[in-house]
Amino acid sequence: MPFNSVLYLIFLVAAVTVYWLLPHGLRRVFVLAASLAFYASWGVIFVWLPLLVAGIVYLFGTRIQFDSKGARRWMWLGIGCVLSLLIVFKYRAFVLSNLNVVFAPFGTHSSSWVTAIAFPMGISFYTLEAIAYLVDVRQGRVKIPSFLDLCLFFLFWPNILSGPILRARELVPQLRFRKPFEPRFVFEGLDRVVWGLVQKNVVANMLGIWVDKGFAPAAGIPFTSDAWFLAIAFGLQIYFDFAGYTNMAIGAARLLGVTLPENFRQPYHAATPPDFWARWHMTLSRWIRDYLFFPVNARWHGAPVPLYLSLLGVMALVGLWHGAGWNYILWGSLHGTYLIAYRVYESWKTERPSSGDSWLAAGTWRLVTLVAVTAAWVPFRASTLSKAGIILSSMFYRLTSGRAYSAAFYVFTLVVLLFCALEPLLLRKLSEIEERAGTDGLSPFSIMGRPLAYACGLLLFLLFDEHNTQFIYSQF
Amino acid sequence: MMPDHNAIRSAARKAASAVARRPVKDSQRLVTSGLIDSLSVLKLISLLETTLNISIPPETLQPEDFDDIDLIVETIERVAKPAP
Repeated sequence: MPFNSVLYLIFLVAAVTVYWLLPHGLRRVFVLAASLAFYASWGVIFVWLPLLVAGIVYLFGTRIQFDSKGARRWMWLGIGCVLSLLIVFKYRAFVLSNLNVVFAPFGTHSSSWVTAIAFPMGISFYTLEAIAYLVDVRQGRVKIPSFLDLCLFFLFWPNILSGPILRARELVPQLRFRKPFEPRFVFEGLDRVVWGLVQKNVVANMLGIWVDKGFAPAAGIPFTSDAWFLAIAFGLQIYFDFAGYTNMAIGAARLLGVTLPENFRQPYHAATPPDFWARWHMTLSRWIRDYLFFPVNARWHGAPVPLYLSLLGVMALVGLWHGAGWNYILWGSLHGTYLIAYRVYESWKTERPSSGDSWLAAGTWRLVTLVAVTAAWVPFRASTLSKAGIILSSMFYRLTSGRAYSAAFYVFTLVVLLFCALEPLLLRKLSEIEERAGTDGLSPFSIMGRPLAYACGLLLFLLFDEHNTQFIYSQF
Repeated sequence: MMPDHNAIRSAARKAASAVARRPVKDSQRLVTSGLIDSLSVLKLISLLETTLNISIPPETLQPEDFDDIDLIVETIERVAKPAP
């Protein structure tokens, strides 16, 4: 049941209506049942998996809290258990195919059954949440919730598929569902859901049609302008796809009165590579910072060589987390390299305070960041490293003039690009209108304008439903 | 010996302003607002250790423990030990 389907919208309306009609005492059980039903719609066979993860972290979390001497050991054991599940279900084929290459001269090969197990939706996301929970318990940041609380935390349907990646301490207290109904929950929730539908079906899926053709293994060597527009179009597609999903997740939670953290802040307006990661998939960046980058570098007090090595290693792991393939590792490593380059520049600048903050340097970094991020999307999207090499070569090295793609592709990509450029301005104007209209959700703007906007959004969603495809991040 | 509360607060203000490269108010969010990043938090810890002659064990900490001056003071009083 993908978020961008009529069936899901019926499920959402029914679940939210029943939720607000139920007495407080029954809401938790109802949301858990609805979440189980939602997750089961992706495959009944895997419903036990998030429940098992909840059981593992409940068991090890309790041991961590009550056995202070062995807390560290219990934490690592718990992390090992949840990571083992992730490796078995997500990385076994990747590991085995690489082992096959290594051991091919010895005539060994893996059985096909190990690569035939299906992929459980959302496992990469709730594994990170489970690790964060165990570390937080070890650091005394979270009190052990009940097993029901943890099941709800891992299964909460608005964010189980692809985040936002949450910490138990920010979601579990909200899952008591004690808030009384407020009209603004409906308006705020529907705003995000409808906008998310438009982002996904109208923008991301339309761009996806051209991107799929351009990145297909059989596609020939593109002209330089085609290669650049393919890379830009994929950068826009993945942004609108993932931001669309996130808006729908945040909106669904808001309809229940729950607030989820934001995941995007106009990432293509980033001024530097670190700034890009402060704006792109923000809850993943926060997880990396708190549970990987900071603990590793704190041991070395931020010394340059360990810092650079950890940036490269951590970003390669981020790539691997996205997908079991060398193209993802290359994407992560490229971002690691960008971050190192910026740190080196920063250290150089700190040693020369007289160099100041020139507008030329700031503008150059802004442009370099945009180009570097766009180039890195190529290996991320390409099915093979050789395909990525062909497109990157057309972009930077083997320059050719000509255009094989339709004018519609170029115009549509430019329109979306223009929208992204104007996004901060549009958001500011929208927020000014909202402020003038009042926040109670009962202003004339809310009563007249919003239903009209929702109707237009839903009409667009239905018109473009024929191109219905999965959200890109649901494959991770 | 551990420095007193006022000394820690004063050092926290100076160190936060130094890593943020601008004056920082007590209530101002440092990490969650994006004013400083995790690397600057490591610099902040080093500065505080040197100024106050203390040791801050980083294993149990997260950048948001240094999100404002009150939190910095509270974190130091909770986890810091006199430097050996």
